[in-house]
Amino acid sequence: MALISLMILVPLIGAIIAFLTKTRQQARAVALAASVIPLVISLYLFAYFNSGVTDIQFYESYPWIQTLGISLSFGIDGVSLPLVLLATIIIPLTVIFAWGETEQANKFYGLILLELVGILGVFTSLDFFVFYIFWEVVLIPMYFLISIWGGPRKDYAAIKFFIYTHVASLVMLLAIFALYFNAWQASGVFNFDMLYLLSSYSLIESGMLRDAVFLGLLFGFLVKMPAVPFHTWLPDAHVEAPTAGSVILAALLLKMGGYGLFRVILPTLPFTDSTAILITLMAVIGVLSILYGTFLALAQRDLKKMVAYSSISHMGYVTLGAAALVPLSISGAMFQQFSHGLITGVLFMSCGVIQHSAGTRIIHELGGLAKHMPKLALLMMAGFMASLGLPGMSGFVAEFLVLVNSYFTLPTFVILALFSIVFTAAYHLWAMQRAMFGTYNEKLGHIHDGANYEIFAMGVLVLLVIYFGLNPGSVLNMMTANAEHLDRLLRFAVLRGVIT
Amino acid sequence: MSLYIYLLVAAIIFTIGAYGIMTQKSGIKILMCIELMLNASNINLVAFSSFGGNATGQVFALFSIAIAAAEAGIGFAILVALFRVNGTINLDKINILRW
Amino acid sequence: MFGDYAALIVLLPVIAFVLTLFFGNKLPSGGAHLPIAAIAGSFIISLGTFFEIYPNGSVQQSMQWFSTLNFGILIDPLAVVMLMMVSFVSLLIHIYAVGYMAHDPAKPRYFAETSLFTAAMLAVVLSDNILQFFMAWEIVGLCSYLLIGFWYHKPTAAAAAKKAFLVTRVGDVLFLAGIVLLYVNMTNVITNTGFSLEPGNFILQFKSMFAAIPYIAPTQLTIITLLFFGGAVGKSGQFPLHGWLPDAMEGPTTVSALIHAATMVTAGVYLVARTFPMFVEAPNALLVVAYIGGFTAIFAATMGLVMNDIKRVLAYSTVSQLGYMMLALGTAGMVLGAKAVGISMFHLLSHAFFKALLFLCAGSVIHAVGTNDLREMGGLFGKMKITATTMFIAALALAGFGIPGLHIGTAGFFSKDAIIEGAYEYGYVTGDMIPYVFSILAALLTSIYIFRLWFMAFSGKPRQDRHAHESPPVMTVPLMILAVFALFFGFSQTGFYGYLETNFVLMGVEIGVHEGEAFHPSALILWLPIIVGVLGLVISYLIYNRRIVDMSRIVTRRNPLYQLLLNRYYEPGLSSYVIGEKLTHGTAAMTGEFVDRRIIDGFVIDTVISRTLLSLGDVLKKIQTGVVRNYISVMLLGVGLLIILLRIGGT
Repeated sequence: MALISLMILVPLIGAIIAFLTKTRQQARAVALAASVIPLVISLYLFAYFNSGVTDIQFYESYPWIQTLGISLSFGIDGVSLPLVLLATIIIPLTVIFAWGETEQANKFYGLILLELVGILGVFTSLDFFVFYIFWEVVLIPMYFLISIWGGPRKDYAAIKFFIYTHVASLVMLLAIFALYFNAWQASGVFNFDMLYLLSSYSLIESGMLRDAVFLGLLFGFLVKMPAVPFHTWLPDAHVEAPTAGSVILAALLLKMGGYGLFRVILPTLPFTDSTAILITLMAVIGVLSILYGTFLALAQRDLKKMVAYSSISHMGYVTLGAAALVPLSISGAMFQQFSHGLITGVLFMSCGVIQHSAGTRIIHELGGLAKHMPKLALLMMAGFMASLGLPGMSGFVAEFLVLVNSYFTLPTFVILALFSIVFTAAYHLWAMQRAMFGTYNEKLGHIHDGANYEIFAMGVLVLLVIYFGLNPGSVLNMMTANAEHLDRLLRFAVLRGVIT
Repeated sequence: MSLYIYLLVAAIIFTIGAYGIMTQKSGIKILMCIELMLNASNINLVAFSSFGGNATGQVFALFSIAIAAAEAGIGFAILVALFRVNGTINLDKINILRW
Repeated sequence: MFGDYAALIVLLPVIAFVLTLFFGNKLPSGGAHLPIAAIAGSFIISLGTFFEIYPNGSVQQSMQWFSTLNFGILIDPLAVVMLMMVSFVSLLIHIYAVGYMAHDPAKPRYFAETSLFTAAMLAVVLSDNILQFFMAWEIVGLCSYLLIGFWYHKPTAAAAAKKAFLVTRVGDVLFLAGIVLLYVNMTNVITNTGFSLEPGNFILQFKSMFAAIPYIAPTQLTIITLLFFGGAVGKSGQFPLHGWLPDAMEGPTTVSALIHAATMVTAGVYLVARTFPMFVEAPNALLVVAYIGGFTAIFAATMGLVMNDIKRVLAYSTVSQLGYMMLALGTAGMVLGAKAVGISMFHLLSHAFFKALLFLCAGSVIHAVGTNDLREMGGLFGKMKITATTMFIAALALAGFGIPGLHIGTAGFFSKDAIIEGAYEYGYVTGDMIPYVFSILAALLTSIYIFRLWFMAFSGKPRQDRHAHESPPVMTVPLMILAVFALFFGFSQTGFYGYLETNFVLMGVEIGVHEGEAFHPSALILWLPIIVGVLGLVISYLIYNRRIVDMSRIVTRRNPLYQLLLNRYYEPGLSSYVIGEKLTHGTAAMTGEFVDRRIIDGFVIDTVISRTLLSLGDVLKKIQTGVVRNYISVMLLGVGLLIILLRIGGT
């Protein structure tokens, strides 16, 4: 059964149909159908996934450009399945949330479906060349989502987004080619298979080249995450993007960077020339992102920008957990990816509803919204609490796992990261106080609560956040085997004496 | 006769053509020089073919002549069009593709 | 059989929370009956469990959560007395709230949130591992945030809610850091020493923690316990994280009663009591606990003297009394061992009764006169006899009135005097009398401020002609029940101490109990607390009832001491303005913003990278002359070079 290729093909066909539709009713119906089918498939994968093993499952491969060793091969393991699940959960909910889109609706929904195609491709493809193609495919619909449906400075933001991420992916492409040709030199066979290329990384003779290739790959992923100091594209892109675009951007696109860390960076890390320095580098970047993102979020006046910076801060935990190289810290970081995807969806949707109803997102121009938007206030409160790491919600489990287990190897960095917790709470509560509580700002006129479909999409996400907060095992168990596998690689590095 | 004589002739014609391209300003002269260079390569093709005992080179020479004819036709047509627009075929004057 | 259903103690109020939140407005009286029934259920189960496990049993249930962590229930003597107190006091407050909140339009939200609040506190109490304890602890924090900000349309309420959450969050981070450190130490202990967990036990369970104490390095243990205490300082409003508690009076009075008596603030003391075996092994940490507690007791009491808001006086009183509990754990812990938990918990419980009573009485008064300001009250005794009487009982209990020789007295008498005696014994053994002095002075101040409050509110002439009236029975009956407890709870003292002493033995922890070895304090020491209590009453009576001193001459803007106290030692300005706005927001955040916009975006991206590329382009574009002959020349040159290179390289 070619389930994975089916999962990618359905939204692709859906996108083409959506582009061709005439009315927005047709377009959104197509979009919903074409995004729910992948959800059903991914739930099936989820149910029949064997979480005890590290192998690739549901593998399928079709020859493509045989002379260059490129094939369309797909498969999932514990690293990718949770993210596939996340993508297929987020996209239908985004479509539902954007149910009322009127402006060029057919293109809008088509582009959203194309995003799903690209993201699923990135998470499932096992051929580096195909991986790169999907990586770029993700970029283009997002560029158009920002530049057509965006805010006042949409052109600036879209170009900035494009240049940043494109430069990063080009650097990554160079590194991939280095791997490819190196493997060719070693074996005389052209092969783009991802796992094969990664395992051939250690065959690169020059230590400096190994480090350069590693840094190239790392750069590609860190910009996408985004990690400080390569993050400035994110707030601009978020501020200008339409809500659906922001949700996809924060919940899914950023996760591609983290996915790269686990899929590509960690298996190669033990074989780099200066492993200890590179680990410290990653830890520094992780903690810097956590702290810096938190402080920047505190300084923002725009609600959406604040949420954007909070994403940077939360993605810092992913880098930190990956750099700590303890099995549970790695699983915690993977879980943080999953959990942040759900939580940030709620946050950006809240911003969208507020923008839509009140006409502004500037925090001090709001005030007392809870009075007129009780449903939104409840959901937004839940989202904010999840984001600031309230126990019982998924964010806490992830951050707790990362902090506790990173302490074994990176105690100083964990102590620094702990400082951010109070400030994380501070900006969330500050925004809540100014925007939702206090006296109602009469200048806003008569505002209404979120539409039912918006509330529905957010409500589902909040329930999922609580569910995975109370029962993290359902996703975490899949990750554990792979995390331990990665850790074994690293212990091998310890044996080689490159790290202590 | 040795192969080298043919090659020498071809090389001389090619060099003349190349010199002409680099020095001439008139579009027509440059086109003529290109023809010279093409024909120099045709001589090479035929000569190698004849000495190598393989007819493929001659077939390609015929192709090359046919394509050169087409190229000349298009080239002159473009020059005529250019002349109508700019009133000159001095290629140094036609530099709008510059930065 | 009750023990098997222990999970329901928490689950019932949680279910009530969900139902009331979503369907409350369709139910009669805003869904108030649902939480009341649920909490009554919790109380019954707690009570049943108590009778089941008394005198030396316990309930332990545990299941894996994920990885090495678990969810579990541990009901030992320490937990069960807390469970009964929390569910009982919370039940009374809920019943009272039916009357107090009768006219509030947002009743479903109120009752849902208080129900969750109670559930979270109950979950804190019966946790069998420190992580679950922390999780429930955080939910408690969330509920306090929601309830303090219940009237969210009031900007002060929204600000107070935020402050409460943030200040306690500072403590929570320390607590979390303690858990992180503990987990790391436990893991290292398991891998590096002979220590191993018993089958079925999990790493963060209390019994595993206690079993591992001998293997953990003393310095690590001290740091861990201090971090835990940091959490307790935040939650229990100890100095220097006390500022949120008085501000938290922005919520409805019933919420204040819940926070101050049954839930939330007692969690901090409970945390120290729960992990007491660790503290005992870290005497330095105990010393910190004692000093912070003692200082807070007197520090908060000074501010209680001058507050004019009836609820604020009570708030500072709570802070001060919590200081006593910490002091007891610290001082008595060092000389009496595990008995300190009994002493502290006994005061916690008796405080819960009389403080709930005080707040509910205050609520009754506020309900009647419509203001919080003591200066606008007065002469209410005639109009509100039940409230005035019960509040006087509560005041007596708070001030610790009783007769030492005969063992007769209010609840506070038994519980507080034990603490003061413990502090004295600590001083007697170690020669460090400072905690004892703190506790005696605080007792004097306590007595003064609480009777000041009572005289200002109930005696004299009405300072304002409002039509005050006694509250309905739904409010006064809980008052009377609590008054009974405030009066008579103290007589369970001996049994209580004995029962709690078995607590840690049940967990297999031996704490040396130096049962008062031939230590008999002199009569003066026994009588001193009651003497200062009476002294306080007399002073208040003379000043606020007889008016022998003209307070308006002392209480002026020119009196720096008064200003210092009235402005609460300038703590609100310091914490929210200096630390919150200037330091964090102004300096740190704005620096970050500057770095982002000016340095990264402005300088690195725009100036350095963009400009370099553009000027490079300016240079390179010159190559593009537009003259065909140049291109051809270069091309031929290139081909020529290529041929030469191939000739060289090819051979």
